Amino acid sequence: MPELPELNPVIHGKLRLALLSLLIGVEEAEFTWLRAKTDSTDGNLGAQLAKLEEAGYVAVEKKFVQRKPQTLYHITEAGRQAFLEYVQALKELLGAAI
Amino acid sequence: MTTNAEELELKDRLSLIETMIAEGRRTTERYGWVFVLWGVAYYIAIAWASIGPDYLAWPITMTVSAALTGIIFSSKCRKRPKTTISRAMASIWIAMGISMFVLFTALGWSGKLEDNHIFIAIAAAMLGTANATSSMTLKWKLQFVCALIWWVTAAVSCFGSASRSSMTFLVAIFLCQIVFGIYLIIAEASQRGKAALHA
Repeated sequence: MPELPELNPVIHGKLRLALLSLLIGVEEAEFTWLRAKTDSTDGNLGAQLAKLEEAGYVAVEKKFVQRKPQTLYHITEAGRQAFLEYVQALKELLGAAI
Repeated sequence: MTTNAEELELKDRLSLIETMIAEGRRTTERYGWVFVLWGVAYYIAIAWASIGPDYLAWPITMTVSAALTGIIFSSKCRKRPKTTISRAMASIWIAMGISMFVLFTALGWSGKLEDNHIFIAIAAAMLGTANATSSMTLKWKLQFVCALIWWVTAAVSCFGSASRSSMTFLVAIFLCQIVFGIYLIIAEASQRGKAALHA
């Protein structure tokens, strides 16, 4: 019997998975936009983004636009690869159920 | 094999991925006001040119409209995510605006823009190109109808009388800028209403 693939624990967290799924479709996104789309709190969102950043899956850029601070996130190549592998593993696990 | 609970959990993850990807790619831009603003700007420039010096009317009205568009866009779109589609759309319209500005300013100052037919034909053809490119990228049939109207206007301007080409231009502005812009504003408002209901 073939061995079933393991799911990446960094991506498997619900909020982290939602964040990567959002970031994979855009070039970059602001913290406030991610917060609105995931309906999460500042603290939780910041913590989950930090975990993704630590894993090298997202990169952050902080700048000022019209004298207001702006925090932009984008998915890295490693993040994109890990996300695609996660989706593949998920599909394999579900097999005929999907 | 996975158990039923695990399977449900995994399906939930898959559905979350699909929802979030769609959410990220959703066209959240609100373009309606841009069409209305530029439609009104064209009317102001035409009215001004008919009663005053036309070498000032068009450059001033277009510069003010471009500045207004830039200011409103930068404040409205600051928090929106950048997508390849939104960058492509912005590029099309910015490139068209710069081409029109450079060409008409040069033609006006060199005194070679005396024939109103040529002005209408070039402006309408350029607007037709931008609308068609945008509609083909977004797969949006209604905007392609606008492109067709602009192209017909360009052709009519080459063959029709001065009054007929001016009238066609005014009608095209009304249909493709004002009516289309108001339709977009209403459609976007109803889409926002639906999104709020589902939130």
